[in-house]
Amino acid sequence: MAIFSLLVTANPHSSQGQFSAIQFAKTLLNQGHELKRVFFYADGVLVASRINCPPSDEYNLTKTWAKLAIQHDFELTACVTVAMKRGITNATEAERNALTGDNLDPAFEISGLGQLTEAMLESDRLVTFG
Amino acid sequence: MKTLYILNNPQHFKQCASAMTEEDTLLLIENAVLLADQLEPRSNYFVLEEDLIARGLSNNAEWQTKDYQGFVQLTLDCDKSVSWL
Amino acid sequence: MSQSLAVIFNKAPYGTQSGRELLDIALMAAAFDMNISALFIDDGVYQLLENQQPDILNMKNHSPTFKALELYGIETVLINQEDLSQRGLSADQLLNVADISPSSNINQIISRSDFVFML
Repeated sequence: MAIFSLLVTANPHSSQGQFSAIQFAKTLLNQGHELKRVFFYADGVLVASRINCPPSDEYNLTKTWAKLAIQHDFELTACVTVAMKRGITNATEAERNALTGDNLDPAFEISGLGQLTEAMLESDRLVTFG
Repeated sequence: MKTLYILNNPQHFKQCASAMTEEDTLLLIENAVLLADQLEPRSNYFVLEEDLIARGLSNNAEWQTKDYQGFVQLTLDCDKSVSWL
Repeated sequence: MSQSLAVIFNKAPYGTQSGRELLDIALMAAAFDMNISALFIDDGVYQLLENQQPDILNMKNHSPTFKALELYGIETVLINQEDLSQRGLSADQLLNVADISPSSNINQIISRSDFVFML
């Protein structure tokens, strides 16, 4: 059995990449492989907002990632620099930058790009969805 | 290194194919699956079945298909994957 | 042996943020002692034009950061010869950071790198 990590850069609102990444993640977990971390970068970080609110008859990507991560114990990590730029923030970063609110989904964390490098070095396979 | 090229944008096919060597594998996903309808199949070219079905193209392709199970397996059969964006 | 990463720039600057954000990945991975190659192909060759002035549009000019690649220990910086000439560009229009290289050489680096990122 192999250890996977994913790099997801696809915009959740305007492209298919996040759907593909979720499908890939579910499949590898079903096959008994391990998922270590999903690292979100570029527009991919937009999925980490807990206030993403798609119409009720559409798939909620944020909640799907969150549920999957809790169920299978893997990390959802959004790059802090690109996330802050796009208005995705946790309470700590909001306070540091004097922002009035935070919106990071509790199943996600924000951290540095080093977490991507670490995932590369500690996984057997890294697959990108852009 | 045996590489899996994952292509999701049909406009980048030429670029992507020109970087490939004979031992490499190509998998078309997302909108790039349209290419399976337009280009000649090859022994190291595959197309993602779910993305064909989603687009109503499942019966058209002469290309070899892989489902998501096969997609995961391809990433393991190759030494690394390159998502050509 | 340390792991190797190739980052491929294949898009022109400023229309999207991809060049800038890919550059950040390269610099971070270099800090982790990975062996990095920065490759400029297709419209990515425009990333290295010398006379960029995005500040007239209030956009940040990230091209000076390409000059820092060497400082970060990134020594393999290659720009595709065919793609340059196809676009009518010559070496004297470029930042002096990349070696002009044929596709075959660039493809070899893509092939032998442990990781390859595009954005």
